[in-house]
Amino acid sequence: MDNARRRFLALAGTSLGVLYLGGLTPEVLAQAHEHAKSAQRNLDGQPFRFFTPQQAADYEAFAEQIIPTDETPGAKEANVVRFVDFALSEIEPQNKQDFAKALDALNAQAKKTAPQAAAFSALSSAQQVEAMKAVEKTEDFGMLKYYVLIGFFGDPADGGNKDQIGWKLIGFEDRFYYAPPFGYYDAQAMKEKA
Amino acid sequence: MSAAPEQRRYKLTDQVDFLIVGCGASGSVLARELSRNGFSVVALEQGPWLDRSQFTHDEYRVQAQHLLTNNPQKQPMTFRKTPKDKAVKQPALIYGRMVGGGTVHFTANYWRFHEIDFIEASKKGTIPGTGFADWPITYADMEPYYTKAEWDLGVSGQAGASPFDPPRSKPYPLPPMPVKSSGVLFEQGARKLGYHPFPAPMAILSQSYQGRLACAHCGFCMGFGCEMGAKSSPLPTMVPQAVATGRCEIRPHSYVRKIELDAHGRAIGAVYFDQNGKENLQHAKAFIVSSNGSETPRLLLLSKSNRFPDGLANSSGIVGKYLMFNTDPLCGGTFEHELNEYKSIQVTRILHDFYEIDPKHGFYGGGGLDARFLWTPISFGSIGMSPRAPQWGSDYKKAMAKNFNRTMFIACHTTSLPVADNSISLDDTVKDAWGLPAMRVTYKDHPDDLKTGQFLLDRGMEIMQAAGAQDRWAFPIEETTFGFHLLGTCRMGNDPKSSVINSDHRTHDVPNLFLCDGSSFVTSGRGQPTETIQTLAFRASDRITALAKKGEI
Repeated sequence: MDNARRRFLALAGTSLGVLYLGGLTPEVLAQAHEHAKSAQRNLDGQPFRFFTPQQAADYEAFAEQIIPTDETPGAKEANVVRFVDFALSEIEPQNKQDFAKALDALNAQAKKTAPQAAAFSALSSAQQVEAMKAVEKTEDFGMLKYYVLIGFFGDPADGGNKDQIGWKLIGFEDRFYYAPPFGYYDAQAMKEKA
Repeated sequence: MSAAPEQRRYKLTDQVDFLIVGCGASGSVLARELSRNGFSVVALEQGPWLDRSQFTHDEYRVQAQHLLTNNPQKQPMTFRKTPKDKAVKQPALIYGRMVGGGTVHFTANYWRFHEIDFIEASKKGTIPGTGFADWPITYADMEPYYTKAEWDLGVSGQAGASPFDPPRSKPYPLPPMPVKSSGVLFEQGARKLGYHPFPAPMAILSQSYQGRLACAHCGFCMGFGCEMGAKSSPLPTMVPQAVATGRCEIRPHSYVRKIELDAHGRAIGAVYFDQNGKENLQHAKAFIVSSNGSETPRLLLLSKSNRFPDGLANSSGIVGKYLMFNTDPLCGGTFEHELNEYKSIQVTRILHDFYEIDPKHGFYGGGGLDARFLWTPISFGSIGMSPRAPQWGSDYKKAMAKNFNRTMFIACHTTSLPVADNSISLDDTVKDAWGLPAMRVTYKDHPDDLKTGQFLLDRGMEIMQAAGAQDRWAFPIEETTFGFHLLGTCRMGNDPKSSVINSDHRTHDVPNLFLCDGSSFVTSGRGQPTETIQTLAFRASDRITALAKKGEI
């Protein structure tokens, strides 16, 4: 298992002596961190291990409704479904059954919304929204949504949050080292003090 | 997973001076102090011994894989609100399960108790239906050890900044951490309302200290291990210092299931499972259980014998009782400009104006407030926004993009009254992965605790408004069903009928058995117990050393 942070720290560790001399600048740390991140797990084109093709299609449709692709990239571009497949296969296999049940519940609602539809992914976008609104307070919905967030905002080292799409959306910089001022109000306070 | 370094090794048959069960906030302090005082020490720790290079900011893995904490799959628990209810299998509490314990992943708020915390019952009177009582020790007894904890571990803060602070013999060793936008806004709002906000004392290094590096402001304190070693947990401090004495062995993956007694009622050994599930018996002359406020009583209750059919050192019948969680009400707000709260430590400003809420309000209680940000991206997307914000779809996405860096929270930290029914007990219907009875948690907040929480939450919402929040929201006060401060379950006292340990941390029933951790608390303090847990351990080390040197153990 590649661990970006571990490799970063190995680099930082070699600089400990320098640190005491004040030589470990934010730039050096940022460079080391960027370098460590270069080895991301690539999930593109990997066969699914947990999802059936049908489940993958349904969950993809769900994920795209939770975080759609609009002016900015969404769940699709972040590789959410592939990451969730990896997560359920490798990290939380104990949740496979509950997750499959939650998908079944979504499909059951899809059939209520549009009796002729074979599955959630077969609904029109408007019907998908209607079906999701009908179940959005349920635990099953919560579970499906939570995994979208894991895939969208998780550590890119594992292959989700591809190209840091999720982090870029919300303005989370993954720099490891920051110096004050951190935000507008503490910057103002610093100015006033000066 | 384990990186046990070169250290002194003892044999199971070696009768070491002290065997410590649990190498966390308090156990690691005892291990260092006692080994420095010349004693041979073995510390058995349930969890792994991780090196800081093994920590990660991967919020999904840390939570899903329980990298730093107890694992509900292997260690199931049950929960019920009252003894009349049927306990249901569900996670009911969390603790640090590793060398270093919960202080590895804690937020690093480091508050002393105030004088009143030790003598509150005699000042305010008893409260019917509770075990509200004075401690057998006072703030004056603790003060030198609070100072020692702050200087030995490394704490950043500003002495004298709060008019409510108790007296102290020395300032903090390090200046306060740089203020964040949340701290600036909190301070502005609180001052408008006439309160006295001040820099939060934090067990995080604002400057390099004793060979350790200063904080890099990465933002991953709460819930994560510190890769810089700048968080003043035992991992970069007590643990290597204990090992360096050459008299202390820390044995990870060692899960103690029973303390054995001899025919005279003295403890002779601890039975534990090692990493391979093999049972071992480690001998020792004296035993200190520092396994936290949930596992310490559980181990005593598991250690039944003919002499102690209700659990070891439980002649009082109160082992496991008077569990206190503190409550943690929370409100959020969004602001016009960017705060970028994901950067740097969680908390930079707090206030103690309501440490003691005026009894004229009709309830007992008190606490503190702090300004913080407590989400990382996944948790922010789950619960970090106002309940009125859209929860999915394009509008949700836009709201996250706008608010992640414009949001802050005010967290309240409250008293919890000691109630006998609130407890840790054994649930024989559920077994853990080692075949032992699961922990059963019974908990229902005293009504005054909920009123205290509401009172502080209302003040938090007012501060948020005074600070100029564009939107603000409060999470409703609800009864606590999940705990992370584990306090009071083997309380300290002078009377063997109403307490488990005396003021030297010695159990009333077994002369060579001591308990020292959150379980020793008599009352709950104001929601930040860690400094007091560790200070008790520094003090206990001196008391126990004195007893041992006099041949009185």
